[in-house]
Amino acid sequence: MYFDNFAALINMDGHGVYVWTSVAVTLATMLWLVIAPLISQRGLLKEVSRDIQRQQDRELAAKKTSNHEESH
Amino acid sequence: MNWLSNKLSAGPSNESPSWQWFYRLGSPRWFYLRSGQWLPWLSLAALLVLATGLVWGLAFAPEDAKQGNSFRIIYIHVPAAFLAQSGYFIMAIAGAIGLIWKMKISYMVMKAAAPIGALLTFVALFTGAVWGKPTWGAYWVWDARITSMLILLFLYAGVMALQYAYHSVDAASKASAILALVGTVNIPIINKSVDWWYTLHQPATIKLTSAPSMHMDMFMPLLVMIVGFYLFYAVALILHTRNEILRRERKTSWVRELVTAKAGG
Repeated sequence: MYFDNFAALINMDGHGVYVWTSVAVTLATMLWLVIAPLISQRGLLKEVSRDIQRQQDRELAAKKTSNHEESH
Repeated sequence: MNWLSNKLSAGPSNESPSWQWFYRLGSPRWFYLRSGQWLPWLSLAALLVLATGLVWGLAFAPEDAKQGNSFRIIYIHVPAAFLAQSGYFIMAIAGAIGLIWKMKISYMVMKAAAPIGALLTFVALFTGAVWGKPTWGAYWVWDARITSMLILLFLYAGVMALQYAYHSVDAASKASAILALVGTVNIPIINKSVDWWYTLHQPATIKLTSAPSMHMDMFMPLLVMIVGFYLFYAVALILHTRNEILRRERKTSWVRELVTAKAGG
């Protein structure tokens, strides 16, 4: 390591506050760029499976009524 | 704006059979399934390369003789600025492909690239401002490089805003693509700003045409970080594009089959 110890790495001769702020903001932004689409993907997939469920329910209901009508 | 949207939506649709393969290549379904296979490997590579470059640059590279340790911000500032500009080209080229070949997937890539580019531009501006304080004594100066980067941020924001300015997805895509293409004029201005004008911003550290103006011990971690940022960009772009595919194709049978298969298996 270029620095003598961990404390020197954090302090960076007084420049640590600038360097680590930059690193923190950059990493947070990059993390957000990956997490945000994953969250909305989950929502979209859920929406699709709800749509499928609703359609199946409708088809089932339609079948039932047609069966009912036939028995009369 | 009506004349523009009328003009834009009246594109020819002469699909000759010889171009079929090209359209298949641009099929959202194909892209979604394939990119799902690439993602884990790309993500792993991005993570490893970024971690290596960051530790190397922050803890092992020697400090700059003039700027001291604040120069270490270069290891995120330069890669972010690189990708902010490369990302703009990717967005504009995707828009051009959409305009010329009416490829659905390329409009989705264009839309996905806008927020990623905007945030990377923000990162470049933010880290530049924080770097400016100990180096120049000011967070912000209106010099040509910084101002042209701010314009880049506005261009990204404009492309994002245009996506929501139209009811029709097609009209929104076309308008965004045109703005993206017109905005590419800003990229060479950003690049040349440090040569054309007297700027406080230092000249380019890396040029394709000459050796780096930096010692190898400092330069190698920077190179690693740039590769890492490209890998990260690929991951982010694929993730955002896949989302856009799901959003636009959620009523199609292939998405339904995919979700059913996932729920069943």
